[in-house]
Amino acid sequence: MTTLSHAPASSRPIPNPKKSLITKLNMGTGIVVGVIFCWGTYFAMKAGRDMTDSHNVNKVLLMSMFAWSIGFLIGIGAFIGPFRWLIGKDLTDEEQLYLAGDGQGWKRYFKYCTDHKVVGIQYLVGVMAMLGVGGTMAMMIRTNLATPGSHFITPVVYNSLVGLHGITMIVAMIIVATGPFGNYIMPIMIGAADMAFPRLNALSWWVLFTAIPVLCSAWFLGGIPTGWTAYAPLSDQAGPGMNAFLATIIIFAVSTAVAGMNITTTVVAMRAKGMKWNRVPIFVIGATISVALAIPAFPTFMVAMIQTGLDRTIATGFYDANVGGSGWLYANLFWIMGHPEVYVILIPGVAALMEIAPVFVRKPLFSYNAAIAGFAGIAGLSVLVWAHHMYMAGWMPSLNGPFMVTTEFISVPTGLLFLVLIGTLWRGRPWMKLPMLCVYAFIWNFLIGGITGIYLSDVPADNYLHGSMYVTAHFHYTLMGAALTGAIGGLAYWFPKMTGRMLNERGGYISFWFIQIGFNVLFLGMFIAGAEGQPRRVADYAHLFAHANLISTIGAYSVGLGMIILLWAIVHSWRSGKIAPMNPWGAKTLEWTVPYPVPLVNFDQPPVVTSDPYGYGRSAK
Amino acid sequence: MSSHDHNDEESWRTPGERFTNFLNRKNPHYEHDQKDVGIAFALGIFYTLVFVALGAWAYPKWMPVVLSKQMQANEDIMIWFTVISAPIAGVVLSIAAKSFLNMHRGDTPPEDGVAIRTNGPVVIVWTATSVLFCIVAIVWGLVALNTESIAAATDAPKSLIVDVTGSQWVWSFYYPQQNIHTHTLNLPVNQPVTFNVMSDDVNHSFWPVQLGVKIDANRLVTTVAHADPTATGPLDVKCAELCGLYHAYMETSGAVESPTDFNNWVSSIQATGGVQQ
Repeated sequence: MTTLSHAPASSRPIPNPKKSLITKLNMGTGIVVGVIFCWGTYFAMKAGRDMTDSHNVNKVLLMSMFAWSIGFLIGIGAFIGPFRWLIGKDLTDEEQLYLAGDGQGWKRYFKYCTDHKVVGIQYLVGVMAMLGVGGTMAMMIRTNLATPGSHFITPVVYNSLVGLHGITMIVAMIIVATGPFGNYIMPIMIGAADMAFPRLNALSWWVLFTAIPVLCSAWFLGGIPTGWTAYAPLSDQAGPGMNAFLATIIIFAVSTAVAGMNITTTVVAMRAKGMKWNRVPIFVIGATISVALAIPAFPTFMVAMIQTGLDRTIATGFYDANVGGSGWLYANLFWIMGHPEVYVILIPGVAALMEIAPVFVRKPLFSYNAAIAGFAGIAGLSVLVWAHHMYMAGWMPSLNGPFMVTTEFISVPTGLLFLVLIGTLWRGRPWMKLPMLCVYAFIWNFLIGGITGIYLSDVPADNYLHGSMYVTAHFHYTLMGAALTGAIGGLAYWFPKMTGRMLNERGGYISFWFIQIGFNVLFLGMFIAGAEGQPRRVADYAHLFAHANLISTIGAYSVGLGMIILLWAIVHSWRSGKIAPMNPWGAKTLEWTVPYPVPLVNFDQPPVVTSDPYGYGRSAK
Repeated sequence: MSSHDHNDEESWRTPGERFTNFLNRKNPHYEHDQKDVGIAFALGIFYTLVFVALGAWAYPKWMPVVLSKQMQANEDIMIWFTVISAPIAGVVLSIAAKSFLNMHRGDTPPEDGVAIRTNGPVVIVWTATSVLFCIVAIVWGLVALNTESIAAATDAPKSLIVDVTGSQWVWSFYYPQQNIHTHTLNLPVNQPVTFNVMSDDVNHSFWPVQLGVKIDANRLVTTVAHADPTATGPLDVKCAELCGLYHAYMETSGAVESPTDFNNWVSSIQATGGVQQ
């Protein structure tokens, strides 16, 4: 890697290691090999097996899905480097430069490209596609719920939509900020030439990519009836589509582990000279804490899914009460992941907005230390609260009190996040661009999401609210109203650096108001339905809830329209938007010191940092 | 790093002098603060009142008729937590709104604002307030939780027992003391009731809505919930845990009724062999 990190961008020839296998591999060859592996495994395993036995069907399908994933990675060349290590060699410098994709134009986006900026764009497009699919499912759900007794979709399809919407959005939201901005922007922000492990970076994206067709296959295998929580024993009872869900989670857990390790190592080891811990931009801190929290969280989900898979293939009975197992085991494993996971989603979104606010208010970030204490406090407490999802499960009622205490204490570090934002706004004169508007939307939405979370964390109130639409509204306020708004703010802010063009302002504003007003109408309606007593995840409901649901559906269409306008604005601006100057917002972080297109190694000269990036403002008077 | 960024004039003031100056409207240094604080304060009162109204008016209107002590406790928490959190919401929203109203538009950044790096007392007061709020919520919750479990224990001997079974996708009830099997849930008012809940298949969640209690139904494990019906009225029983295809339709009805009506209902079922028709 020495040549890579020292050669000035301008003098570097485009490498062309003609004879190397690496130059011939891309997404296409990956798909071909993956499909061959998949069908090969399918037919080989199917032969001689009694396919009327659901255990056999599950075995064959699960193995075929994993074979697809491994085959794809072989076909795209992910294992060439490790294979060379096995025989005591490595990629040549030329091959490494080729993998970095310099000078290969659009084709590098379809290759096993190790440049963090390419990986960032791959994540961005992938996330937008996932949000689009998940959002379309949400529209279908809300359309069915517009009126009671609607038969727009059948209960089978409805339940599948609920589960697939859930898991698609959860996966998309986990990577929505750390994927695109964590990969593209963050290494430049800390003054690094690339990520610590560029090949693992490419691996994390392409492993995730292989999960997408697996998840889609759930549709064609009869869907998933369990919601994204996939509670046992309903998951044991479920049809073949459930295998797609299991395989997706297992593959996704590998991807997040690889990405999390890579991001944390990069931030710990590769910061520019002079970037002491108290000079690290707050987005970098937030993204790092988020992925560090994901590293212990997702493996438990993976274990939960492996055990579900074993129950479904060889009848191990981990979760089957008939043979001594327990559904509560699953619920515990799931929520040990599930609650840290919501903060894995939330923290990078908040951190992006904390990066944005000082730039547009032209004031320092208020109490940088409080922001870090807030993130760290949330991350620390979040691993001790999981059973608040199980107050009504009947599992250990005596622990309801202790879990209520830990859960409610999360409101203290969460309060610090609000303090940092409003402290930054105080006496400021905000430059009202789209990223800044997202800061305000976040404050409103997260306030409602946070306060309603306090009712839900209270056991006696949760007696009534648990499993109702009130819960659905609450977590959409935090995950969508707060975290997705943060990610949209981040996109509007970093769009000029990632695409070289300004995001269309008018499109951005119009979409913002459609999305935010629609969002509040949608989920305030859902709060009402929940308070009235409507359970969540129901395909139909009593007439009592008709008004609240109609309000929700109207709001949902407004969000949908806003998202289409936003998509148009993104696509249009990316193709033919106004060319962006190097530092359109006048920000002080390092990513705004490099031109677009960003050179392969980011900086011609390694930057030296002498202060934190929040030195805005005149002295107090 | 914070204090060095302030100018000298700022740093020589003692806290007492600063406070006196802050209160003195004529001091030019704090004129801006005064105005900001005034507007933010007014906005804060407005938002606080909005949230108080939401708690006091909207929740009782939205939530179903209260038929039990538990439901009353739930509703009280919803109302009072909203009222208690209203001032905090008021502070956050007023400061956000005040700065929003002060916006700068156009294609060039505004001039720099005041370089406030942090403010120790503000951070401490804020944290202490949120800890206090948190403790109030926790103590309230623990007391309510404890009251309910003590009541459940002392009431156990005089409780009406109902064995509840969830199966895809119906609720069925067995009253062992009366030896009747039913598919509606009728209960006498002013007598504690204990629900022993189990599932025949996957997880369900037993939710007699107006009683404000809920407990999951698990396979081969009995879970227990208690309720103290305090008023008569119709009852909706729903499933609150996704349980497969017809989860949405896994519901039944019932009533909290006078002891006489309840006994008549029991007798009518006993007359048909102990199984509700």
